[in-house]
Amino acid sequence: MAAKLTFSKEIANLLYAMHGNPIKDCIQCGTCSGTCPAVEFMDHSPRELIAMIGANLKDEVLHSNTYWSCASCYYCNVRCPAGIDIADLMYALKRYSMWKDQYKKDLIGPKFSESFVKMIMRTGRSFEPVLAPSYIFKYGTRGIIQEAQTASALVLKGRLPLLPKKIKRLENLKRMVRRIIPIGEPS
Amino acid sequence: MKQYAYYPGCSLESLAKSYHLSSIEAARELGLELKEIEDWNCCGATAYFHVDELLAYTLVARNLALAEKENLDFVAPCSGCYKNAYFTNDYLQQDPGLAEHINFALEEDNLHISGPINVRHLIEVFVEDVGFEEIKKHVSRPLKDLRVAPYYGCQLLRPKKDSEDVENPQFFEDLLSAIGSDPVEYGSKTHCCGSSLIITNREAALDMVYKLLQDAANREADVIATICPLCNVNLELYQKQVNREFGTDFSMPVMYFTQLLGLALGVEPGRLGIGKDFVSTDSMQFIMQNPQSS
Amino acid sequence: MSEKVGVYICHCGTNIAKTVDVEEVALWAGEQDHVDVAREYKFMCSSLGQELIEEDIKEKGLTKIVVASCSPHMHEKTFRTACVRGGLNPFMFEMANIREHDSWTTDDREAATLKAKALTKAAIERVIHNQPLEPLPVEINPNTLVVGGGIAGISAALELAEAGNHVYLVEREPSIGGHMAQLDKTFPTLDCSACILTPKMVDVGQHPNITLLTYSEVEAVGGYLGNFDVTVRKKARYVDEEHCTGCGICIEKCPYKVVDNVFEAGLGARKVIYRPFPQAVPKYPVIDTENCVYFQRGKCKACQIFCPTDPNSIDFEQQDEILQIVVGNIILATGFDLFDVSQIPQYGYGRLANVFTSLEFERMVNASGPTDGKIVLRDLETPPESVVIIHCVGSRDENYHKYCSKVCCMYSLKFAHLIHERLPEAEVYNCYIDMRTPGKGYEEFYNRLLEEGTHFIRGKVAEVSDVARIEEEEGKLIVQVADTLISKQRRIPVDMVILSPAMEARNDSQEVSQLFRMGCDFDGFFVERHPKLDPVATMTEGIYIAGACQGPKDVPDTVSQGAAAAARVASFISRGTVMMEPIRASINQELCSGCRICNTMCPYNAIVFHEDSNVSEVITALCQGCGTCVAACPSGIITGAHFTNDQLLAQIEGILWDVRSNLDLVPVE
Repeated sequence: MAAKLTFSKEIANLLYAMHGNPIKDCIQCGTCSGTCPAVEFMDHSPRELIAMIGANLKDEVLHSNTYWSCASCYYCNVRCPAGIDIADLMYALKRYSMWKDQYKKDLIGPKFSESFVKMIMRTGRSFEPVLAPSYIFKYGTRGIIQEAQTASALVLKGRLPLLPKKIKRLENLKRMVRRIIPIGEPS
Repeated sequence: MKQYAYYPGCSLESLAKSYHLSSIEAARELGLELKEIEDWNCCGATAYFHVDELLAYTLVARNLALAEKENLDFVAPCSGCYKNAYFTNDYLQQDPGLAEHINFALEEDNLHISGPINVRHLIEVFVEDVGFEEIKKHVSRPLKDLRVAPYYGCQLLRPKKDSEDVENPQFFEDLLSAIGSDPVEYGSKTHCCGSSLIITNREAALDMVYKLLQDAANREADVIATICPLCNVNLELYQKQVNREFGTDFSMPVMYFTQLLGLALGVEPGRLGIGKDFVSTDSMQFIMQNPQSS
Repeated sequence: MSEKVGVYICHCGTNIAKTVDVEEVALWAGEQDHVDVAREYKFMCSSLGQELIEEDIKEKGLTKIVVASCSPHMHEKTFRTACVRGGLNPFMFEMANIREHDSWTTDDREAATLKAKALTKAAIERVIHNQPLEPLPVEINPNTLVVGGGIAGISAALELAEAGNHVYLVEREPSIGGHMAQLDKTFPTLDCSACILTPKMVDVGQHPNITLLTYSEVEAVGGYLGNFDVTVRKKARYVDEEHCTGCGICIEKCPYKVVDNVFEAGLGARKVIYRPFPQAVPKYPVIDTENCVYFQRGKCKACQIFCPTDPNSIDFEQQDEILQIVVGNIILATGFDLFDVSQIPQYGYGRLANVFTSLEFERMVNASGPTDGKIVLRDLETPPESVVIIHCVGSRDENYHKYCSKVCCMYSLKFAHLIHERLPEAEVYNCYIDMRTPGKGYEEFYNRLLEEGTHFIRGKVAEVSDVARIEEEEGKLIVQVADTLISKQRRIPVDMVILSPAMEARNDSQEVSQLFRMGCDFDGFFVERHPKLDPVATMTEGIYIAGACQGPKDVPDTVSQGAAAAARVASFISRGTVMMEPIRASINQELCSGCRICNTMCPYNAIVFHEDSNVSEVITALCQGCGTCVAACPSGIITGAHFTNDQLLAQIEGILWDVRSNLDLVPVE
């Protein structure tokens, strides 16, 4: 008898392999929201988000910027009296919203993550200038100039090589990735 | 010379070049060799974990397997790389199914993980393997009267590993005392610098950087010492932007702990990457130009 | 062997019948060897159910009875009595637990029915080998030991003493009174704690039926219900209780003061020769040898010089005394510890001066305390203009204690009230997760605080710091908390923070539970025999528990438990003799080789060795029937009554009845 998979159940399943307690254990004490350094920039506090998942408010959760504002400082994790891996929940929600392609379109986070992943598949290492186009539009012309000024200053100080480094056994790495997810050629 | 499998991570090749230089130098002065892992790849940072966990574990596992081949402790100077490596290693030990899956992928690069591997942060190597007494013996230029704010940040301490004190650790202060400087007590030492939000949500990250700089400045720190390239970049490279956004005039030097350690051990500033910084370290010249100060 | 077994399968309403096919099990049971009659019934424990058994014994001449129902803890006694009424020896009965061990554990009807058969079959096979046994009469020594002189122990001791029984009350500290003596007011009626406690303490001190042993600890416990041998160490006070009048001149003249970390919670000082508090019972002082200049350096003796009694009551040569007492019953009322708040560094205790614990605050608001009842900051001068009281410090938290400590909401409300009363201008905030005020007059007390203008913030405090971000925060403690009712992270600058720590088990509760051979739960609290129906008894006969050693509780609940434990003991004392289960070991003297292995294994020292005949013997009165010697005997000649090899092997064969037919078992060589 296959029960209908509710949103809260789906999220619970995503967290199944995690090391903390299930989010059903939340007592809504607000330790996470009281601790979070980014809570002012979130449309819903972590505590609210957990309540919203429990209430099956799927659309609201998917359109929230909460998890994209998480800095992964893990302060909520170590303080949570219910032993919930809240930061890991944030990661799980990021992945979920990207899989479903339902995140808020003006967020930089998802695009940044995608281009980061693509870059690693191309070179095996990360390289800051390649990432720039994915987020620079957000800050407008003034932003681009500022970033560009910073970049050229960094080059002058020897802190920014002009070309990305590639690892030697890149092809092996690509084949490794394909063994994990057989998705064809990674771009 | 005691050897370590050194995993610099991508930042140390570019923005955090001086962390790389100073780590190698400071280690050498204390009889340690940081042997760079051959052909290492990116650990996935936080972004890869946003997209796919299993793939992220695989990336980390390749580096761990390379270290295992050398039979050396895996050492990362970056807190993010360290956290990823530490927990991937831990999960691989706890979950044989995961280990089997990852090892299947590793075959493509003729690698295998049996584990367990010792995953260490660079500062742990200095604190635990060398020890404060030994460091004190090697200090030739104690950083006397230098008020240093130790900045632990997040991922060195959290998520919680064994019995470490995640709220009020002391080992960084003890290390700073060992090199003759004066560690500053300030409440924000384990708070967050904003990490990758500096790219994806700059407003939030600048707010966190601002709060950190304000606390360190209020406690009259001469310099903030960091143990992570991302913390350093946020506090240093974006200090100007904080000043612009918040109308402040911070000019707080931010240095890697290895740079301060190197200075105390008598290494010449240029070889520690000093001079590549955006916030001038001129205010600290009294330390650098006076080798005999003691 | 012509045994006639009656088997009765209980539905237990739907408790068993919901998952076990009871009719099927009864039908099947009727087909088993030796079974004469098999029935199923709605409630076997009802009088009608019991009459079924009685009538079948009489009419059908049954020789053995099996009931498959709940745990023997619930109803073994009920059915044994039914057997006796029918004319059988009570040990001709066997019980199969198909509820706790079966129906409650699964929803799988088929599997549960199969297991019910296996358990029933085991009982049938075993009961065939059961032998009649006669209960052992045990005389109850009318004296009782009460361990712990807090309000729980005081209540228990007074109840028993008033009923005419002798009580030994042992207390570790120099005075009785416990935590309650440290409190100022008690919620919700705000009675003065000392005013209601000290008359009881005086009663204990003067009661002819109470032997008060303060500054004493139990070191060893032997024996069993009715006859416990207890060793008590009475620590040297260095004051002769026979001659001391308690005048207090020695205390006045003692030239040395130390910080009082026990009674005054570190906020006040006491002399080196001291009474913990003015109303202490007994009135005799005690010398703190660790800090006494005479004991450390051999000089001073001021107390002795000024002692006005003749002979002098100060005795520097006094030694610890070891007392042996015999009691019939023991009541443990060892109380609780407060959670060490420094384990939560983000609340700043010890680092930020004006963060206080609840006990420090209790002493501070107490009129006879170190500040004469004035509420002040750590400088002991400045009254706070604003105070945050933090609930659930170490409670309801996986990292420390998962349980709710039950009393903190109420005493935190009491603190808020006392601050309003003494400092009407002060702003008071209570930060709580959930407000828990179940109790007579408790919710009304909460309403009163709402009216008094306390600010209630629903949220667990994230951290307390001194890192100011704006001008208003300069020089203040900043309490950072999510106000979950308005969904805002708030930073509240205040002068004082009070932490309400969890009540936790005594740090030595594990050792104490071993000393008295009873159980301790995961959190270190003592385990009651039944959480609802037998909350003051333990699994060890003759040992009772009362008060916070069993779990967090407030004064009224503690007093009730003290009285309840006393009532249980009193009923044993008035019976004079109780019948004990005859489940004891016995040694076949003819086959004993005299190897003496069993002598040292016995945890009750119940086995003696006869040098002349070179054999060991079990002293039946001391044996508790644990079976250790039975298993240890290399010749296999010790028998545990009612647990013979025949019975156990038959039971095992019974439980494996369907396995034998399905598997080719190869004996292990």
